[in-house]
Amino acid sequence: MTQRVNLCSVSLGVQGMTCGSCVQSIEQRIGSQPGVRQIKVSLEQKNATIIFDPSQQSPESLSEAIEDMGFESSLSETST
Amino acid sequence: MTKHEFEVAMTCEGCSGAVTRILNKVEGVTFEIDLPKKLVWIESEKDVEFLQKTLEKCGKEVKYNGTK
Repeated sequence: MTQRVNLCSVSLGVQGMTCGSCVQSIEQRIGSQPGVRQIKVSLEQKNATIIFDPSQQSPESLSEAIEDMGFESSLSETST
Repeated sequence: MTKHEFEVAMTCEGCSGAVTRILNKVEGVTFEIDLPKKLVWIESEKDVEFLQKTLEKCGKEVKYNGTK
Protein backbone atom coordinates (compact mmCIF):
# COMPACT_ATOMS: atom_id res chain seq x y z
CA MET A 1 0.00 0.00 0.00
CA THR A 2 1.50 3.28 -0.97
CA GLN A 3 0.52 6.39 0.82
CA ARG A 4 0.11 9.42 -1.34
CA VAL A 5 1.88 12.39 0.11
CA ASN A 6 1.66 15.85 -1.32
CA LEU A 7 5.09 17.39 -1.23
CA CYS A 8 5.74 21.07 -1.01
CA SER A 9 8.65 23.05 -2.32
CA VAL A 10 9.98 26.19 -0.75
CA SER A 11 12.78 28.53 -1.57
CA LEU A 12 14.38 30.23 1.40
CA GLY A 13 16.83 33.09 1.27
CA VAL A 14 19.99 32.29 3.24
CA GLN A 15 22.43 34.99 4.27
CA GLY A 16 25.88 34.48 5.70
CA MET A 17 27.22 31.61 3.63
CA THR A 18 30.60 32.32 2.16
CA CYS A 19 32.03 29.02 1.06
CA GLY A 20 31.31 25.48 -0.01
CA SER A 21 31.69 24.15 3.49
CA CYS A 22 28.82 26.32 4.75
CA VAL A 23 26.66 25.02 1.90
CA GLN A 24 27.57 21.46 2.73
CA SER A 25 26.82 21.69 6.42
CA ILE A 26 23.41 23.22 5.70
CA GLU A 27 22.58 20.56 3.14
CA GLN A 28 23.61 17.81 5.54
CA ARG A 29 21.91 19.18 8.61
CA ILE A 30 18.65 20.33 7.05
CA GLY A 31 18.62 17.32 4.73
CA SER A 32 18.53 15.05 7.77
CA GLN A 33 15.51 16.78 9.35
CA PRO A 34 12.34 14.66 9.38
CA GLY A 35 10.10 15.33 6.41
CA VAL A 36 12.80 16.84 4.22
CA ARG A 37 12.98 14.99 0.92
CA GLN A 38 15.44 17.04 -1.02
CA ILE A 39 17.55 20.13 -0.48
CA LYS A 40 19.60 22.19 -2.85
CA VAL A 41 21.61 25.11 -1.51
CA SER A 42 23.01 27.70 -3.87
CA LEU A 43 25.92 29.83 -2.75
CA GLU A 44 25.63 32.21 -5.73
CA GLN A 45 21.92 32.82 -5.31
CA LYS A 46 22.11 32.77 -1.50
CA ASN A 47 19.13 30.52 -1.20
CA ALA A 48 18.02 27.01 -0.37
CA THR A 49 15.40 25.12 -2.31
CA ILE A 50 13.79 22.44 -0.18
CA ILE A 51 11.26 19.79 -1.08
CA PHE A 52 9.45 18.62 2.02
CA ASP A 53 6.48 16.81 3.44
CA PRO A 54 4.08 19.52 4.72
CA SER A 55 2.71 17.21 7.42
CA GLN A 56 6.13 17.15 9.10
CA GLN A 57 7.65 20.50 8.23
CA SER A 58 6.58 23.99 7.30
CA PRO A 59 8.48 26.79 5.57
CA GLU A 60 8.63 28.48 8.98
CA SER A 61 10.11 25.45 10.75
CA LEU A 62 12.70 25.01 8.01
CA SER A 63 13.64 28.65 8.15
CA GLU A 64 13.98 28.32 11.91
CA ALA A 65 16.21 25.28 11.52
CA ILE A 66 18.53 27.30 9.27
CA GLU A 67 18.56 30.22 11.71
CA ASP A 68 19.37 27.76 14.46
CA MET A 69 22.54 26.92 12.57
CA GLY A 70 23.62 30.53 12.68
CA PHE A 71 22.56 31.78 9.27
CA GLU A 72 19.99 34.43 8.46
CA SER A 73 17.04 32.97 6.67
CA SER A 74 14.05 34.57 5.03
CA LEU A 75 10.93 33.13 3.49
CA SER A 76 10.75 34.11 -0.13
CA GLU A 77 8.33 31.95 -2.05
CA THR A 78 6.27 28.82 -1.62
CA SER A 79 4.81 26.68 -4.33
CA THR A 80 3.08 23.35 -4.17
CA MET B 1 33.91 32.32 35.28
CA THR B 2 35.41 29.28 33.67
CA LYS B 3 37.01 29.60 30.27
CA HIS B 4 36.52 26.62 27.99
CA GLU B 5 38.45 25.91 24.84
CA PHE B 6 36.69 24.24 21.93
CA GLU B 7 38.05 23.23 18.58
CA VAL B 8 35.45 23.78 15.87
CA ALA B 9 36.02 22.73 12.25
CA MET B 10 35.53 26.20 10.80
CA THR B 11 36.89 26.82 7.35
CA CYS B 12 35.85 30.35 6.51
CA GLU B 13 34.33 33.57 7.80
CA GLY B 14 30.90 32.21 7.02
CA CYS B 15 31.53 29.37 9.46
CA SER B 16 32.88 31.60 12.23
CA GLY B 17 30.05 34.04 11.55
CA ALA B 18 27.56 31.22 12.06
CA VAL B 19 29.21 30.27 15.34
CA THR B 20 29.14 33.92 16.40
CA ARG B 21 25.44 34.22 15.66
CA ILE B 22 24.65 30.99 17.51
CA LEU B 23 26.59 32.08 20.60
CA ASN B 24 25.06 35.57 20.49
CA LYS B 25 21.67 33.95 21.01
CA VAL B 26 22.83 32.28 24.22
CA GLU B 27 22.64 34.37 27.36
CA GLY B 28 25.44 34.61 29.87
CA VAL B 29 28.20 33.72 27.45
CA THR B 30 31.24 35.69 26.39
CA PHE B 31 33.42 34.25 23.68
CA GLU B 32 36.37 34.75 21.40
CA ILE B 33 36.99 33.06 18.06
CA ASP B 34 40.33 32.39 16.43
CA LEU B 35 39.51 31.36 12.89
CA PRO B 36 43.03 30.42 11.68
CA LYS B 37 43.50 28.16 14.71
CA LYS B 38 39.89 26.92 14.54
CA LEU B 39 39.51 27.65 18.23
CA VAL B 40 36.60 29.07 20.19
CA TRP B 41 37.04 30.23 23.77
CA ILE B 42 33.89 30.51 25.78
CA GLU B 43 33.56 32.05 29.21
CA SER B 44 30.41 30.82 30.85
CA GLU B 45 28.95 29.25 33.95
CA LYS B 46 27.03 26.78 31.82
CA ASP B 47 28.20 23.21 31.63
CA VAL B 48 30.43 21.90 28.88
CA GLU B 49 27.80 19.56 27.50
CA PHE B 50 25.41 22.44 26.89
CA LEU B 51 28.10 24.53 25.21
CA GLN B 52 29.17 21.62 23.03
CA LYS B 53 25.55 20.96 21.95
CA THR B 54 25.17 24.66 21.14
CA LEU B 55 28.30 24.70 19.01
CA GLU B 56 27.30 21.51 17.23
CA LYS B 57 24.16 23.27 15.95
CA CYS B 58 26.24 24.87 13.22
CA GLY B 59 26.75 21.40 11.76
CA LYS B 60 30.50 21.32 12.24
CA GLU B 61 32.73 18.99 14.18
CA VAL B 62 33.34 20.17 17.73
CA LYS B 63 36.08 18.98 20.05
CA TYR B 64 36.47 20.01 23.67
CA ASN B 65 40.03 20.89 24.64
CA GLY B 66 39.45 21.52 28.32
CA THR B 67 39.51 24.63 30.45
CA LYS B 68 42.02 27.38 29.91
